[in-house]
Amino acid sequence: MTASTNTTLKQDYWSYVKRQFKKNKRALFSLYIVGFMAFIALFADFIANEKPIVCKYEGKTFYPIFNQYLVNLKLAKPYAELNNISWTDAEFESAIRPPIPYSPNTQDILNFGFVSPFEKQDVKSIRWRHWLGTESIGRDVLSALIHGTRIAFMVGLVSMSIASVIGIFLGAIAGFFGDNRLKISRATLLMLFPMGFFGLFYAFAFKKLFWGLGIMLLAAFLAYVFGFLLKPVSFFKKKIAIPLDILIQRLIEILVSIPGLFLIIAIIAIAKPSIFLVMVVIGLTSWTEIARFIRAELLKVRSLEFIEAAEALGYPKWRILFRHAIPNAIGPVLITIAFGIAAAILIESFLSFLGLGIPPETLTWGKLLSLAGGGKSELWVAVFPGIAIFLTVTLFNLIGEGLTDALDPKQKK
Amino acid sequence: MLKYIFKRLLIFIPTLFVIALATFYLSVNVPGDPVEQMLNANNDAGSSANQKASEAAYIQKRHELGLDLPVFYFAVSNQATPKDLYKIPKKFQRKNLGELVEKYGNWKEISTYYEQVKHFSYAVSDVISDSANADILIEIRNDVQNLLTENDDQVIEYAFQNLKQNIGQDTSLESVLSGTLQQTYQDYTNIKTKATPNKKLIPAIHWYGTQSQFHQWITHFFKGDFGISYQDGRPVKTVIWSAVRWTLVLSVISIILTYLIAIPLGIFSAAKKGSLTDQGITTTLFILYSLPNFWVATLLILFFGGGDFFDIYPANGVGQLDNTMSLFQQFWTRTHHLILPVICFTYGGLAFLSRQMRGAMINTLSQDYIRTAKAKGLDDEKVLWKHALKNSLIPIITLFANVFPLLISGAVIIEFKFTIPGMGKTAYEALLARDYPVVYTIVMFSAILTLIGYLVADILYAWVDPRIKFDKR
Repeated sequence: MTASTNTTLKQDYWSYVKRQFKKNKRALFSLYIVGFMAFIALFADFIANEKPIVCKYEGKTFYPIFNQYLVNLKLAKPYAELNNISWTDAEFESAIRPPIPYSPNTQDILNFGFVSPFEKQDVKSIRWRHWLGTESIGRDVLSALIHGTRIAFMVGLVSMSIASVIGIFLGAIAGFFGDNRLKISRATLLMLFPMGFFGLFYAFAFKKLFWGLGIMLLAAFLAYVFGFLLKPVSFFKKKIAIPLDILIQRLIEILVSIPGLFLIIAIIAIAKPSIFLVMVVIGLTSWTEIARFIRAELLKVRSLEFIEAAEALGYPKWRILFRHAIPNAIGPVLITIAFGIAAAILIESFLSFLGLGIPPETLTWGKLLSLAGGGKSELWVAVFPGIAIFLTVTLFNLIGEGLTDALDPKQKK
Repeated sequence: MLKYIFKRLLIFIPTLFVIALATFYLSVNVPGDPVEQMLNANNDAGSSANQKASEAAYIQKRHELGLDLPVFYFAVSNQATPKDLYKIPKKFQRKNLGELVEKYGNWKEISTYYEQVKHFSYAVSDVISDSANADILIEIRNDVQNLLTENDDQVIEYAFQNLKQNIGQDTSLESVLSGTLQQTYQDYTNIKTKATPNKKLIPAIHWYGTQSQFHQWITHFFKGDFGISYQDGRPVKTVIWSAVRWTLVLSVISIILTYLIAIPLGIFSAAKKGSLTDQGITTTLFILYSLPNFWVATLLILFFGGGDFFDIYPANGVGQLDNTMSLFQQFWTRTHHLILPVICFTYGGLAFLSRQMRGAMINTLSQDYIRTAKAKGLDDEKVLWKHALKNSLIPIITLFANVFPLLISGAVIIEFKFTIPGMGKTAYEALLARDYPVVYTIVMFSAILTLIGYLVADILYAWVDPRIKFDKR
C-alpha cells in the first residue's frame, strides 16, 4: 500500500462519516444551531454592548467597539473625547447601536431588582427594553446570556483542546508502544535519572518558564549524549523496554480515582479566580476518557497492514505513530470530544454557580443562575440561563450521538 | 481469579500513595496558616510579654497538630537553604525567610538578622504609647511589621529609612530604640554584603526520615486515626460519620429508585422499539439526562420549596425530630424533607441507566439466539423475560460499581442547595475552609472506594460472563 492510496482511503472514510452524519437529522440540526451559537459567541460584542458600533459626537465619528478591541490589543488609545461619558445616556448626534444596547455589566438603575420580561419597564423606548428582564442590580439578562455564550464556548473549546492534546498523545503512545515496543538503551535510561534531576532542579531554580523548558531540553540532550558515550560498554548497550502502557494506565487510574469535581474545586478554591485557570484545570482533569479511547483504537490500528508496511519501509517509529497511526484512529476520539465539550460547559457553569473560579464581576450562565432567589420575578433569572446551559449541553450530546452512529461500523448498510 | 484480585489489590498501594502525595502537596502549598486558623486570634499587638505568650501558644498548637515537623521524608533543596528552616514557627515568616535565602544565599547572616528583627520588634512593643508619640508609634509598628513580612530590598530599605526618621523625631524613643535599630540595620547590610547567591545553584538533599508530617499522617490514617478538624476541633472520624449517614440515606434511596424504575422502563422501551411510546420515552430520558442538576435543584426549590409559588416541601435541612412524635410522624418529617433532594439525586442516574438498559436490550434482541428462540415458537414475552433480560443485564450490573464512590463524595450541589449535612456539603465546606484533615480523609476514602468499585466491576463482569477470564492475561 503506497501513501497515495492511503490518502484516498482516508478521504473516503471521512466523506463516508460525513454522509452518515448528515443522515442523522437531529445531529445535523444540532450542529447548525451550535454553529449559530458560535457566531453569537464570536460577535457577542457587536450584538450586546452599551457602546454604539458607530457614533457621531460633537461633529466627529467614532467606532467605540472596534476601538475597544484595539485598546485591548494595546494598538490604540481609548477615545479621549468619549472618556467621561455614560454610554447609555450620552447625547450622540447619531449612533448605530448593537441590537441589545446593554453590556453584561451595564447597570440600569431605573430597572433594578429583578424586573421581569413581562412587566412594564422604565425604559426610553422599546429599543431599550430588557427582553429577558434584569437581575438584582439592573444588569440585562439577555446581554449576560449572549456574553455568557462566549465564555461557555471558550471553556468547551480550550479545555477540550488541552484535554485532546494530552489525551491523544498519552493514549496513543500507550496503545502504540504498549509495554515492550519502546526501547531505550540502559545507558540512556541510566543517564536520564541524574539529568532529569538536574534539569528539574535548575528549571525550578530559574523560575522562568522559557528558561525552565530550555534547561529541561538541554538536560534531555545531555542525557542522550552521555548515554551515547557509555555505549561502548556492552552492559549499557543492551536495550530495555519501557512499560509505557502500564505507566499511563496507572496515571489514568490515579486521576480517575480522585473525585474529579472535588479536585477541580480544590484547585480553583485556592487559586486566584480566573476563567483561564478554570479552562486549564478542566482540561487537565478530563483527558483520561480521550486517552482510553485512542489507546483502544491504536491497539487495533497498530496491527493493520499499512503500519507493518511503514515499518518494513524503515520509517522511524515516531513518524509512523504521528503520520500514519494517529490520523487513522482519530475518528472515535471526536465522539469523546463532543461529549467532553458538553461536560466541560456543565462543569464550568456548575463552578460559577457555586461562585468558584470566575472573577466576581464576570457574569456567566452559572453565575446568573445562582443570582435567582425564590421570588416570582426572579424565576426568569433562573430559567433563561438554565435553558442556555441545558440547550448547549443537549446540542453537544446530540452531536456526540450523531458521531457515534456515523463512526460505528455496525451501522454500515 | 484470586491471583488476579491479589494482583489488583497490590497495584492499589502505589496508586493510593500517589493520590495521598498529590492531596498532601496541594494542601502544603496553599496560602493560609491552619495554626492561626485554629487559634483564631492574631496577637501581634500588645507588649512583648503578650507577644511571647501568644507565640508560645502558637508553637504549642503547632506541635499538637503535628505541623512542627518537616513536610516530607526528604526535601530537594539547595545549599543555601538550611535543613531546619521548618523550625521557624510562623508560616508566613518561614516563607519570607525562605525567599530571603533564595535571594542572598547566606543563612547565617539572615538568621542573625531575623533574631535581631524579632528583638527589635519586642523592644518596639514595650514602648508605652503616650499622647506625644502615639502617631509615630503606629507608623513605627507598621514598618516593623514590614521588616518581618517583606523580602524586597527596596521595601526593607524604605522601612529602615522611615524607622530612622520616625525614631529620630522623639528623644525618648531614640534613647530606647536607636541602638537596636542601628544593630538591625547593620545586620541587614551584612546580608547584602556577604551574599552568596550562587550557593542556591548547588543542589542539596535533606533527609528527615519518618519524623515528617506526611509519614505521621499516613501511618495514623491507616491506623484509623484521621486527626481533628481544623474548623471545630472535633475528631475527623465524628465529622465524617455524622455526615456519611445522610449521604447514605440519600444515595441508597435514590439508587434503589433508579434501578426499580430504570430497568423496567428500558426493557419496555426496547421491546416497543420504534413505536411512539418508545420515542416519547427516549426523548424524555435524553432531556432528563442533559438537565443540569443545579438548575433542577434551583427550580424545584423555587417552585415547591417556599418562594412565591407552591410552599409544599421544605427546602432546607432534614427536619427536626423530637421524642413526642410518633414513629409515623418521624418518618413523615424525614420523607417530607427528603423528597426534593431525592428527585434531584435520582433523575440523572435514572435517565442514564434507562438509556443503557434500552441499548443493551436492543443489542441482545438482535442476537441470533433470540431469533432462534422466536423461530422455535416461543412467545415474545417469554423470549424477552427469560432469554434476553439475563444477558442484557450484564452492562447494567457493572454500572453498579460506579455507584460506590457516589456514596462518599455525594452530590455536592444537591446537599449544598438543600442544606443536607451530608458528605458532599461537608467536603465542599472543608475545602473552602482549608480544613485539610477532613479533606484528606474524604479524598482518600473516595479514592479507595473508586478503586474497589472498578475491581468489583471487573469481578462482576467475569462472574456474569464466563467468557471473560483474567488469569490468562
